[in-house]
Amino acid sequence: MRTDYIYSIILFFPLLIIQTTIVPLVAIDGAVPDLILIMLVFYTIRNGQVYGTVLGFIYGFIFDLITGSFLGSTMLSKTLAGFLAGYFYNENRLESNFKSLVFSLIVLLCASVDSVIYTFITQIDSSSSLFSLLIEQGMIPGIYTALLSFVVVIFYPQRSIN
Amino acid sequence: MKRLFLELWENFKEYIVLVVLIVASLLALTFNENIAVQKVRAAAFGSFAGVTSVVSDLISIAKIKSENTRLSEVNAELMLQVNMLRQYGIENRALKELLNFKDSSDYPLIPAIIVAKSLTRAQNTFTLNVGSKNNVSRGMPVINDEGLVGIIHSVSEDFSIVRTLKNQELKLTVKDERSRIDAVMKWNGENLVMINVPKTHDVEPGDRIITSELSSIVPVPIPVGVVLKLTDVERGIFNEVKVKPFVDFMRIQHVFVLGIVESRQKNNLELNFYNRD
Repeated sequence: MRTDYIYSIILFFPLLIIQTTIVPLVAIDGAVPDLILIMLVFYTIRNGQVYGTVLGFIYGFIFDLITGSFLGSTMLSKTLAGFLAGYFYNENRLESNFKSLVFSLIVLLCASVDSVIYTFITQIDSSSSLFSLLIEQGMIPGIYTALLSFVVVIFYPQRSIN
Repeated sequence: MKRLFLELWENFKEYIVLVVLIVASLLALTFNENIAVQKVRAAAFGSFAGVTSVVSDLISIAKIKSENTRLSEVNAELMLQVNMLRQYGIENRALKELLNFKDSSDYPLIPAIIVAKSLTRAQNTFTLNVGSKNNVSRGMPVINDEGLVGIIHSVSEDFSIVRTLKNQELKLTVKDERSRIDAVMKWNGENLVMINVPKTHDVEPGDRIITSELSSIVPVPIPVGVVLKLTDVERGIFNEVKVKPFVDFMRIQHVFVLGIVESRQKNNLELNFYNRD
């Protein structure tokens, strides 16, 4: 389990470089896909709920520290996203989760929840409506992230599950 | 007792871990302005930005051709403007000499490249490849050829983080260039808005918005954006004015840090809303 944490944390850094340098080039109206969340869901589905919750916390902490976000905001949203993704952990269904649309749907759900919580924490004094909070700032980035997660579904090697 | 704890852990470990980590996250939210946290943050993003700057350079090379074409056009336009301004400058200097007017200081521009962008709805931040070594300090405005980009928030030796106009933590005093009306502008998560503008004030769509000399953060006039529309027109005594920023935050790559050296005497006289250490 400890080795898994090390790998997933080491892999986090190149992904964060891509997230902060290349991903902004494909932003649509300020909405960007969240590669870090895709990786979080990926590892949570492989390793379980406790693992996902802790990993979400670690990812959020590093992200907040490095990008200058409000410290604690991404920590909280990613912790909850990891916890939520953990409900879909099932050792017997690993292959079906990764080789079908299920993975993208889980990413959609977790990314939407992650975006809504993050927005709620950072915009606590905002006059934005609940509709805007849920749809524009929750669902739209969530859908964009879920679309990108198809890459994992398409390219995930079947052997590595076994 | 130990067995009870073990049983509790076995049955509810997911929830125990979740609660502990949520509490830790909430505690972290309260430590944002802590000096120690800011130091750790400066060290963290300083180390990381070293790597992202390499990737960013590679991307810049790919974009350099189109950027060159655009800059050539801007250059031509600027050449015409400079010609005109030179005439005004000569007249201005002559008039100042006549009046024995105290000359205004020049503002040094520190060129910088954005090496990383953190784009979220509420807290857009950019990482620049200049830091305290280049005389950049917290609170300095960041601009490009289009207008104001943001304000330096954290500085390490070689890198700095900018809070862009699309960051809820940044509030600026701005003014309508035509009617000279001052107002506070902020990012509400969706739009750049000037808040609490009385309905009797003369602000119209299409007006240019610049930073106000009342601002303790950006005391020189820098273009910010253009008024899109007025909202909340039907109710209340205030309008909310939507502003479209001049700067394209998605495309932007090269910026300048405005190395404003402030007058301490002036700051001590005025209420300064922004602590710059």
